[in-house]
Amino acid sequence: MQHIDMKLLKSIDLFKDLEGGELGQIASILTPVRVTEGETIMRRGAPAQTFYVVLSGNYMVYFKGGQAFTLHKFGDVLGWSTVVTPFYYRATTIALTSGDLLSMSRLEFLRLVQKNAVLSGKIMKKINEVVEKRLYFLKTVSGDPD
Amino acid sequence: MNGLDAISANNGWNIAALGITIVFTGLVLLSLAISQLHKILTLWETKHLFYEQVKEVWQKKRTGVADDDRFLAEEQPPEVVLPKSLKKSADQFNILVLHLGEPFPLPKLLELAIKRGLDRPHSTLNHLIQTKLIVPDKLGFFHWNEKVYNCISEPEDE
Repeated sequence: MQHIDMKLLKSIDLFKDLEGGELGQIASILTPVRVTEGETIMRRGAPAQTFYVVLSGNYMVYFKGGQAFTLHKFGDVLGWSTVVTPFYYRATTIALTSGDLLSMSRLEFLRLVQKNAVLSGKIMKKINEVVEKRLYFLKTVSGDPD
Repeated sequence: MNGLDAISANNGWNIAALGITIVFTGLVLLSLAISQLHKILTLWETKHLFYEQVKEVWQKKRTGVADDDRFLAEEQPPEVVLPKSLKKSADQFNILVLHLGEPFPLPKLLELAIKRGLDRPHSTLNHLIQTKLIVPDKLGFFHWNEKVYNCISEPEDE
């Protein structure tokens, strides 16, 4: 498994509230992924199995009606449907440039949060902020979060 | 005096009608409030987003433009220097945008660019977004920024 720098992990907004041991636990289930320009990272309607954190690169997220937004920042989150029922991706994401992501499997993440309630609380709070913003975007553009 | 006569003599009927009206008005208002409760709860849950919108409107009132629109509204946008190849790509994307009309869906523009065989459509599109030649509206669609497009120049040594 590729080593993940703890300082890098701590600088990600999603993980900034985690302590040393908790960071180590999260690091153990994260996998660095290199994506290439034009690569489809997730497809709308597919089962949401993996959640991503942006380290570098530029991404376009688009919905059924053609509405889209782009992500360019370190620490941005892709694939929040992984933690929201009914666990299928609600948008398609394409890499506009090559970039690096950290991927996290849904099952491993759920296993970890079931074992550690404090860690779960800290991460879910951050994820909920992202979900809230994305759902608000969805409601604004389509009037329907689904 | 007793019974109905006493009620009539002391405005009993009017008082009863007023009482019924007050009670029913109260019930109607209460039911209306309950039926709209979900909106109040949604507003409460997304209050920070609401504050941001209010802040933006306030900013717009003070300066005449919102943060996101400021770049578009500037009288003299900064000159954008693009490499020759990107200037050419911007011209090609501009033709596609004219074909699509505005506002346009970004994925559709990318799809067209791929179909027409434009060079590295994904990264070019990203570059056009980063240089604010293509700007988002608030509804998930995008606009071509004519003001920036008119200010594009090529490097002198190329």
